[in-house]
Amino acid sequence: MTKFVRMSLFALLILSLSVFIAACGNGNTEETDSENSDASGDTGSEEAGEVNLYTSRHYETDQALYDAFTEETGIEVNVVEGSGDELIERLNQEGESTEADLFITADAGNLHSASESELLQPVESEVLAENIPEKFRDVDNEWFGLTKRARVIVYDKERVDPSELSTYEALTEPEWEDRIAVRSSSNMYNISLLASLIELNGSEEAAKWAEGIVNNMAIEPQGGDRDQAKAVAAGQADVAIMNTYYIGGMLNSEDPEEVKVAESVGVFFPNQDTTGTHVNISGISMTKHAKNSDEAIQLMEYLSSEASQEEFAAANYEYPVNPAVEVTGLLESWGEFKEQDLNLSVLGENQQEAIRLFDQAGWK
Amino acid sequence: MRHGVRTIKSKFNIWAILSLIFIAIILIPNGLIAVNVFTESNENWQHIKEYLLKEYITNTVILISFTALFSMMIGVSLAWFVTMFEFPFRRFFKWALILPLAIPPYIGAYAYHGLINYTGIIQSKLRNDFDVTVNQDYFSIMNNQGAIFIFSIFLFPYVYTITKAFLQNQSSSIIENARLLGSSSFETFFRVILPISRAAIVGSVTLVVLEVLNDYGVANYFGIQTFSTAIFRTWYGMKDLDSALKLAGALMFLVIFILVLEKVSRGRRRFSFSTTKVRPIQPKKLKGVKAWLLAGYCFTVFGVAFLIPFTQLLYWAFLTFESVFSSEFIQLIYQSVFIASIASILIVIIALIIGNYTRLHKSLLTSLISRVTTLGYSIPGAAIAISIITIFVALDGYLADLYRTLQIEPVIILRTSLVMLVSAYIIRFLAIGYNAVDAGYEKMGNTFTEASRTLGFSTVKTFFKVDLPMMKPAIFGGFILVFIDVLKELPLTLFLQPFNFATLATQAYKYANDERVHEAALASILIIIVSGIFIFVSHKLLEKEPA
Repeated sequence: MTKFVRMSLFALLILSLSVFIAACGNGNTEETDSENSDASGDTGSEEAGEVNLYTSRHYETDQALYDAFTEETGIEVNVVEGSGDELIERLNQEGESTEADLFITADAGNLHSASESELLQPVESEVLAENIPEKFRDVDNEWFGLTKRARVIVYDKERVDPSELSTYEALTEPEWEDRIAVRSSSNMYNISLLASLIELNGSEEAAKWAEGIVNNMAIEPQGGDRDQAKAVAAGQADVAIMNTYYIGGMLNSEDPEEVKVAESVGVFFPNQDTTGTHVNISGISMTKHAKNSDEAIQLMEYLSSEASQEEFAAANYEYPVNPAVEVTGLLESWGEFKEQDLNLSVLGENQQEAIRLFDQAGWK
Repeated sequence: MRHGVRTIKSKFNIWAILSLIFIAIILIPNGLIAVNVFTESNENWQHIKEYLLKEYITNTVILISFTALFSMMIGVSLAWFVTMFEFPFRRFFKWALILPLAIPPYIGAYAYHGLINYTGIIQSKLRNDFDVTVNQDYFSIMNNQGAIFIFSIFLFPYVYTITKAFLQNQSSSIIENARLLGSSSFETFFRVILPISRAAIVGSVTLVVLEVLNDYGVANYFGIQTFSTAIFRTWYGMKDLDSALKLAGALMFLVIFILVLEKVSRGRRRFSFSTTKVRPIQPKKLKGVKAWLLAGYCFTVFGVAFLIPFTQLLYWAFLTFESVFSSEFIQLIYQSVFIASIASILIVIIALIIGNYTRLHKSLLTSLISRVTTLGYSIPGAAIAISIITIFVALDGYLADLYRTLQIEPVIILRTSLVMLVSAYIIRFLAIGYNAVDAGYEKMGNTFTEASRTLGFSTVKTFFKVDLPMMKPAIFGGFILVFIDVLKELPLTLFLQPFNFATLATQAYKYANDERVHEAALASILIIIVSGIFIFVSHKLLEKEPA
């Protein structure tokens, strides 16, 4: 028995080590193979390179678009999926030696901080300039919006008449006491909303706004955006602040109860007569140390094209940034609305201040 | 003269060298974090101190104390019942009670919240069929109590498994003597079982505490501000890595404090056998109400900690199966099992080596070494990941230079392979493997090893011929715990994964992160099933062995 144990343990050790080495070696040979074929191949395969992508968007449609891109151009798209903040940190730590050519993430604030950390490089492309409106591009062309989402007020159709609603600012009035549901201030969407208010109304007003909302909260901030809609449907709160596409997701949920919740609430685009509704983007950027920049630009342009933009919008109920693409279905039914007239870089610039104001206001 | 040479030799043998190397590997990334505590503080730090620190500390202390208490009560009682008594379905519960560990706490939190919230099955049933609308305040688990509940039910298996492994092969003579001397089962438990298994209990509860300390998913979802969420708020929100690492460093000192406490409360006494006639405990047959009460208790825990959340996930998986499932899942399962196996095997081997060294050479150095192994387990994965990336970037740089000088092609880049990820797992989960193995060594004692050495075997030969066979249950136990942990591990995998690599855990995260909890269920179910199979198989293997 002892001998058997000893032998089996030893065998296991050898096996694990060899598998381990094989695994490391394997990844490497694949790389060298593709390099070799690049170098030795004829003109046909020379064109077909690869592009390495870090992304924090996790949608099947995104992968389908990359696949379609590969089919069209022959360029392989390699993907690492992670969270936006962590991918920025990874780029930061990797420095010059990074393998990533492109970085996709939600929230202009995230893109801005990547650009601040000098992780990105400007991209001059007529196609991108044409497809993407100026305010959804970085001033230095270091990042470009791909999709946009609006942060709106959602209300209970029975207890609230939309005529009572007007602006984000009006929610701090005493009449909304104990009636508002909104998630934690750790969430990027809230941070960016406050960052935009800092820009439009100044720090002092923004601080008052955060305090006013905290005073009017019906429940402690908890859960995600969908939970806020549920709190309204359950009667815990009368209005909630949340992103449009979550309502889209709930309306099309497999769970009939979620559909009922989404049907019981209305969507209101605030600040139509004043500063406009807060919009944010998810966007794409080229890393400073990109090794496959030609392929990277091709993919960026591909994703901003009308065909891709239609796919983006259809899959996740986000708005396309390309103005040539018309929205259909649910988004069309919500109608057109006035957006905040801000270059989204300011969301990143005011981010830290927004967090401080949240903490001072006691917004959990 | 000869004597002197022998002492030196015996102190610096292969075990010592290997142990020191592994410890160095663990210390470097942790050291990078610890150094930050002493850097100058900036204005963000002032802000954190002024507005947040108090609440962070209060919440964290509440969460860890109550979770430790509840998971200990559940875990120890179950381990005691299952080893000491014969009751209906005992053989099933013996392994099934490990299963809750396979559910990542944050997924469990989603499942429970999904179950009882407004759109959950309970409330919608009441609303639609009985027209009853309930007060939402009573149907919320998104608070401290809820988090304690979630942590306790999904983490108690650590205590259960390690304590059970310890009790299982206890000499029956201790218990029988107690019984003969007239102690009731109850008395036996408090006067004999608890004292002798103190080390195992304290060690395993420490694991639970560390797991709660580095949790981000549950706290963030429930809106509870803890040390761990604070680190991310500072890091991602304020873009202040320095202050974030400062918090992580402070957390690390808290952990060291807990570890010292653990060491002290483990006590100095050692209980090991001096005879070779160790007969395993014969469970006492219970009849009637008592037997069914025990079965009922086990079933309640099993139901709450596993069946209910599992059923909820299963329901969601069926709802979304068509839109989510693809052949990619086969690949995901393969990759997940592959990397978890490699990491767990390596961790168990390292734990065996360090454990063997520290128990045979008692000194300040070795007791330090055994404490250090636990460090990586307490710090949020993402913070470890940063230091690991830093190290590997440097390492790749040196290697590239080396290859260039030696003119070797191709240049191997460690960062793009799985080496980096596996190293991270080792640093993170060595604590789990080490704790299990160490408890095994402790139970075995040194007498057999010393006898073998006296009879002329070398340490290495003794290790393979005497120690290993006796350590089998501990080794298997450690392997399973580590395997499950790696399988459900998220932050490190997310941060360090190479291109085109994904695991079941990252797949579940993809959906859950975007509030598509239903879609996340399928991948979660697969994590649970794979873990379940491993738990079951290793249990069967152990059963077959004559103890």
